[in-house]
Amino acid sequence: MNSLLHVQNLGFHWGKRKVLDEVQFKIQAGEFVAILGENGAGKSTLLKCINKILKPSYGEIYLNGKNVQSMDIIEISKHISYVPQSISSQFSMNVFDVVMLGRRPHITWNIGKNDLEKVSETLEFLGLEDFAFRKFDQLSGGERQRVIIAKAVAQDASLLLFDEPTSDLDLKNQIQIMKKINTLVSRENEVKVSALVAIHDINMAARFADRVLLLHEGSILQQGTPSNVLTEKNLSKVFGVTCEIEAKTETTPLRIIVKDEMDGEEK
Amino acid sequence: MHEISHLQLQKNKTQMMTLFVSIGITMIFAMVAMGFGSSKNLDFLTSMKILLGIQESTGLQSDILWNLRFPRILMALVGGAALAMAGAMMQGCLGNPLVSPLTLGVASGAALGAALAIVLGLTLVSIPELAIVANAFLFSLIVVFIIIKLGSMRSVSKESYILIGIAITFIAGAIVSTLQYFATDAQLSQLAHWSFGSLSRPNLTNVLWISVVVLTLFPSGLKSAWDLNALSIGGDDFAISTGVNPVKTRKSILVLSAFLTSVVIAFTGLIGFVGLAAPHMSRLVIGNDYRKLIPCSAVFGAFLTLFADTLGRTLFAPIVIPVGVMLSIIGGPFFMYLLLNKRGA
Repeated sequence: MNSLLHVQNLGFHWGKRKVLDEVQFKIQAGEFVAILGENGAGKSTLLKCINKILKPSYGEIYLNGKNVQSMDIIEISKHISYVPQSISSQFSMNVFDVVMLGRRPHITWNIGKNDLEKVSETLEFLGLEDFAFRKFDQLSGGERQRVIIAKAVAQDASLLLFDEPTSDLDLKNQIQIMKKINTLVSRENEVKVSALVAIHDINMAARFADRVLLLHEGSILQQGTPSNVLTEKNLSKVFGVTCEIEAKTETTPLRIIVKDEMDGEEK
Repeated sequence: MHEISHLQLQKNKTQMMTLFVSIGITMIFAMVAMGFGSSKNLDFLTSMKILLGIQESTGLQSDILWNLRFPRILMALVGGAALAMAGAMMQGCLGNPLVSPLTLGVASGAALGAALAIVLGLTLVSIPELAIVANAFLFSLIVVFIIIKLGSMRSVSKESYILIGIAITFIAGAIVSTLQYFATDAQLSQLAHWSFGSLSRPNLTNVLWISVVVLTLFPSGLKSAWDLNALSIGGDDFAISTGVNPVKTRKSILVLSAFLTSVVIAFTGLIGFVGLAAPHMSRLVIGNDYRKLIPCSAVFGAFLTLFADTLGRTLFAPIVIPVGVMLSIIGGPFFMYLLLNKRGA
């Protein structure tokens, strides 16, 4: 079976510094995959390479069997939607107009009835209907993040890339956002949606992701189900902390309790 | 249909109505402006009667109306629209509200060209009336060419464009100052007069040509509205994720804006403020959606320039205050009022 996304032997260098090195993985349709790793492990760079924001130094990325480097930006944006950590701008727009930008790859100039409906449905799905005509820059961090996600959803892409979507949010908003992403990938749509989420919160990843890619110093240390990847040994090596793992039960997800930082020798 | 979609359609209709009303007001004001002038042979009422076909005009009256006032008014409309449109597009693609058509150094290039023609007599055209215009246009095109070359470099950022523009402004300004140092009094006066900006310089043929160029370029600007929306609201990464190539888009929009600016200021001299103020006034009225902002800025720019020029030539008639000066005097406080009022609200 063809994977939705196939990253093959990917490398990215900033000058002489290796940011990503021989990264390989696949994502199937309808999967929720979390990328975990220490600061500077290359999580954001990996997402930007997939979306052609950055050009890899070597390696290939295939989307539905087609090489991403041979696709133009507009074609990629019909299949991949990228949600940055945050956006800041000197200019503001209504929430409806920001979400409508998600329809940009599908329209030339005029907005059709379908586009209007798609945006309205997406706003409702993300609980943003009351914000539709409010200014984007007057919203809270959590609301803004939901608007950017709404724009990505309105784009009708089959692969959603999230760069630390919960980093600026309070606890309630973090759970809400992760639940929405989970709902998106589990929806029984004509086209199955997959999500690749770079995230720092290991418990969120353990709770929501089908699979985890654990990045360390630009390479994948291990990939697999949260239970297999999020071990004390792996977490100590990547994050330099001691922790305790509570196994997943029927009612509770896998839980990681971070105890303390490790000494250099222990690590 | 969803209620939100319905409300959005209604909002669009209201904005389109605002735009059409603004066009209507500008056109009516343009007609009224045809009636203002210092000629004793043609007062306001007579002008209106002639324009409405109620009264026949004499040869002199017809000359004043169609060869003096009409080109000036058309130049105000077209020039103001072009500079405001260029300003709006440049602010969007560079993500900076302080940017105006003069930021990239196009006007400084034009001023240098004019100064070389006036002080040193260095010009490519032998016809004296066109020498300054040709030089101003040529030197502003050199700046456009620098922008094109800059846009072809891989690592160019939006800040680089602004910094290079500032550098060009300083270099051209230094050369102009040197030329002024060696210029005669008459040359200095001519150069100062050029830099004030005036709508009376281009004749009817010039204005018609400028109009054709601006109208031809207008759809290209409008076509880039979606790309500008993505760039202005979320920056480069956000734009790429919506299918917009920021580097290509920025380059083409800046070249288009710089060319529009060159075409206008080569004939009129420096008219600066409208390119900054009109887009911001439009943003306050119609929002930041470039599909509406570009036409709205053009209309507001046209109105603002025409209003300033009409006031400048009637307030102390027969003395005419240059349009560039008037624009800053009346536009500045009004602009500040609008911004502060909006912030307060």
